Amino acid sequence: MTREEIQSEILRIFKEEFEITNPGLDENLTEKYDFDSIDALDLLGEIETLIGSSLTREEKKASMEIRTINQICDYIEELAEKRPL
Amino acid sequence: MRFLKPLSDLVFTLLIWTYYIPGFLLFFSPLYVGALIFSSNRRAAFQRLNSLYYRSFFFVVRALIPGLRISVEDRVRSIHSSVIVCNHLSYLDPILLISLFPRHKTVVKGVFFRVPVFGWILRASGYLPSSNGGAEPSGVLEGIADMESFLSSGGNLFIFPEGTRSRDGRIGQFNHGAFRIARRFGAPLKVLFIGGTNDLLPPGRFLFNTRGRKTVEIRLIGDLKPDYGNEDFSIGRLADQVRSLYREETVPHPLEGFSP
Repeated sequence: MTREEIQSEILRIFKEEFEITNPGLDENLTEKYDFDSIDALDLLGEIETLIGSSLTREEKKASMEIRTINQICDYIEELAEKRPL
Repeated sequence: MRFLKPLSDLVFTLLIWTYYIPGFLLFFSPLYVGALIFSSNRRAAFQRLNSLYYRSFFFVVRALIPGLRISVEDRVRSIHSSVIVCNHLSYLDPILLISLFPRHKTVVKGVFFRVPVFGWILRASGYLPSSNGGAEPSGVLEGIADMESFLSSGGNLFIFPEGTRSRDGRIGQFNHGAFRIARRFGAPLKVLFIGGTNDLLPPGRFLFNTRGRKTVEIRLIGDLKPDYGNEDFSIGRLADQVRSLYREETVPHPLEGFSP
């Protein structure tokens, strides 16, 4: 997947699953949309579906520092380096 | 005479909080140490101890405030294996719910996980940190790791979806985390209404309001078993359904008895 495709998928997930429409790519999701740690767990589930494999515990822990859409895209790109998407 | 009420509030408040910490150290800390050393299921043991400790706390509160009545529906006490959502009026709400449910988890502001001793007890009890303030971010992963077995073995997860105390008694905006966890684990959703705690310990006040007759009540106002697998299911609609239940809570209900 290209960066644009990843971003498009993430924005779709945010719209459909979290009812957050067109967030700014560098907006702090926690501060602006009350996107909390429990929402993040659901997002991880969606990311697992997107990449077609389960995340390791360390990968999940690393995701808990993420705050913006761009960081989510970076995170998925890093996962993609380890797995073919 | 005008100063007597604040003076009595101050004296009773000091007595109540005097029990809170020294009472913990004197009566309960040895039990926690025992659970730490000997229990094969430390989380469950700590949850039971937390519940017992707060039951004793409310016993002291009621002993010191004779005009206080705490009324809890029997069907609230029998809740198990559920995700519980509740409106939030006072700092007393979470500890009141802890006192009711020996096997429980809850979501606590992340900043409290950094408080010495207290934060360690929160972690050891398997509570989940919310992301708004300072906890180890991965704490939520640890807190949720055993959620499936916790719920299936009778435990309850309770969450205040407003995330903060209401200043005027009205229901605020909901975070959707509670509904997401319920969906994730296919759990029934119990909707509790809590009333009167803001009269006993109002938001923004340190002093208990100790004078006059007052009633704290907890009622079950919704017992939902959402069809999470249905393609029409939506977290937003479920949250709206819960909100509508709270909107109907304008008429006082007859209170049922309380047995400590």
